[in-house]
Amino acid sequence: MRRADAWLGILPFAALVTGWWMLAHSGRFSAATLPAPESVVAAAQDLASRGSLLPDILGSLTRLALGATVSIVTGVGLGILTGLNRYLADLLLPLAGFFSAVSGIAWIPLAITWFGLGTAAVTFVIWNSIFFLVFFNTVLGIRSVPRIMEQAIRTLGGSYFILIWQVFLPGALPHIVSGIRSGLGFGWRALVAAELIAATNGLGFLIFDASHFFRTDEILVGIATIGILWVIMDGVLLAPLERRTIQRWRTVVEP
Amino acid sequence: MLGRPRMPRGTAGRPATNPPDAAARSQVGPLPAARAGPQKGAERNRPAAFLAGIWRSVLPFILLLVAWWASSAALHLSATVLPSPVAAARDAGPLLTEGILPDYATASLKRILFGGGLGIVFGIPAGLILGSNRLLSVTFTPFLKFFQALSGIAWLPMVLVWFGFTEKTIQAVILYTAFFPIAFNTMVGLRTVPPRFAEAVRTLGARRWRLVTDVWLPGSLPSIIVGIRLGIAYGWRALIAGEMVVGAGGMGFLLFQSRSFHQTARIIDGMVVIGLLWVFLDTGFLRPVERYTVERWGMEQR
Repeated sequence: MRRADAWLGILPFAALVTGWWMLAHSGRFSAATLPAPESVVAAAQDLASRGSLLPDILGSLTRLALGATVSIVTGVGLGILTGLNRYLADLLLPLAGFFSAVSGIAWIPLAITWFGLGTAAVTFVIWNSIFFLVFFNTVLGIRSVPRIMEQAIRTLGGSYFILIWQVFLPGALPHIVSGIRSGLGFGWRALVAAELIAATNGLGFLIFDASHFFRTDEILVGIATIGILWVIMDGVLLAPLERRTIQRWRTVVEP
Repeated sequence: MLGRPRMPRGTAGRPATNPPDAAARSQVGPLPAARAGPQKGAERNRPAAFLAGIWRSVLPFILLLVAWWASSAALHLSATVLPSPVAAARDAGPLLTEGILPDYATASLKRILFGGGLGIVFGIPAGLILGSNRLLSVTFTPFLKFFQALSGIAWLPMVLVWFGFTEKTIQAVILYTAFFPIAFNTMVGLRTVPPRFAEAVRTLGARRWRLVTDVWLPGSLPSIIVGIRLGIAYGWRALIAGEMVVGAGGMGFLLFQSRSFHQTARIIDGMVVIGLLWVFLDTGFLRPVERYTVERWGMEQR
């Protein structure tokens, strides 16, 4: 059944490529407006053989990894503190609420002003777009831990550190991982936008650069790579991580 | 008030034939918790608690302004790196009086409402059609997921080649960005409506149309709303990026242009307005829709 489902899922993609192929060969559009599927494949081979696709992929992934690491560390850390402390929550939640409305792409011009074009500016923008989701979900996760568990550990003489490490962090983990997964979704989008504007390599730069030369075949290679990379990241890394976390730590009781 | 769809385990318990995407389930904007404090207080003791609530949400911003002012004064940063709040406020004056800011803000707002509206108009029927049948929804799940994850911003260079630096380009990107989350979540929502309801209505002799309006739409509404919020949130970001690149007016264009002239104070003013516009969209449009539909019909998931 499952395998049949997977095969069914290919059908719309096949229909799309067939329709695209027919449209491209109908003679109604020039090759620059709508390149045929096979010329996109050829462009991909060409880019790969010139050795320019892999560095762009690696550049983008490195920036995403860098931005994600910093946002997870800062988001979870600050989220735990905020979830545990009323005063900090009163101070930070309104601010974070406002800043999450401006997060990500709107910071690109300021990031360029501060860091110049390049990796630092892009990483800052990614940090900015992932941080708030991780932060909010961590606060939500910490708050969803039943007080009775905290009280139990306290009664048994557990220290504050043990309380965080053994109660709050595991209790909040499913929320945190969900936040990381959807945060990375926003981060990947912001990455493409930031590279479009503020970088000199990477997949976003690749497609934007190709558009200057009307190389639509190369643009489509870039778009497909961006989509496929995300599917791989989400399907191989993030979704199993989320599933396992929820299975392993299903300690949180829904009120 | 806290009855927004709770996150992971609300859905995990079900026999998930189509487990909704993580992005569709998580919080996009600020938490309900961020708003819960003042509101709870307001119910207890209205006027005094209401004022205290406002004070509590304004105080952090005052502290931020003070910290910003102090750091720009103490570090002697140049106005290009970080202008003081006073300079930013002074710069907002001409932006307002010359009419640049109101023009650009309404341009952006119109674009998101039009593009997002089109996304809703096309997305919900598409989602209902695909969700009406198990086989159809199974077939289209990977397709919709793929294009939901593939951001509209990535299509921007391609659309630029097709439509040039025009309004059409921005609209196409917003429509694309908003359509897929809305269609996908509508479909997922419809699949979670127990078939028994539809059978009951049919047994009572209802036509297909009554089925749609009385069972399918209300039943999948919580999920549709999640999709709309997500679609508009993604669309808003795509809009800002699109305006930066296309440059046909709008808030993104304002930011980008100000950067070229090293007018950092204007960038900050623009960002504040972008934030305020989003808060306005969220509280003035998205949350009322939720309140008048999901919460009123008692469809909230707990």
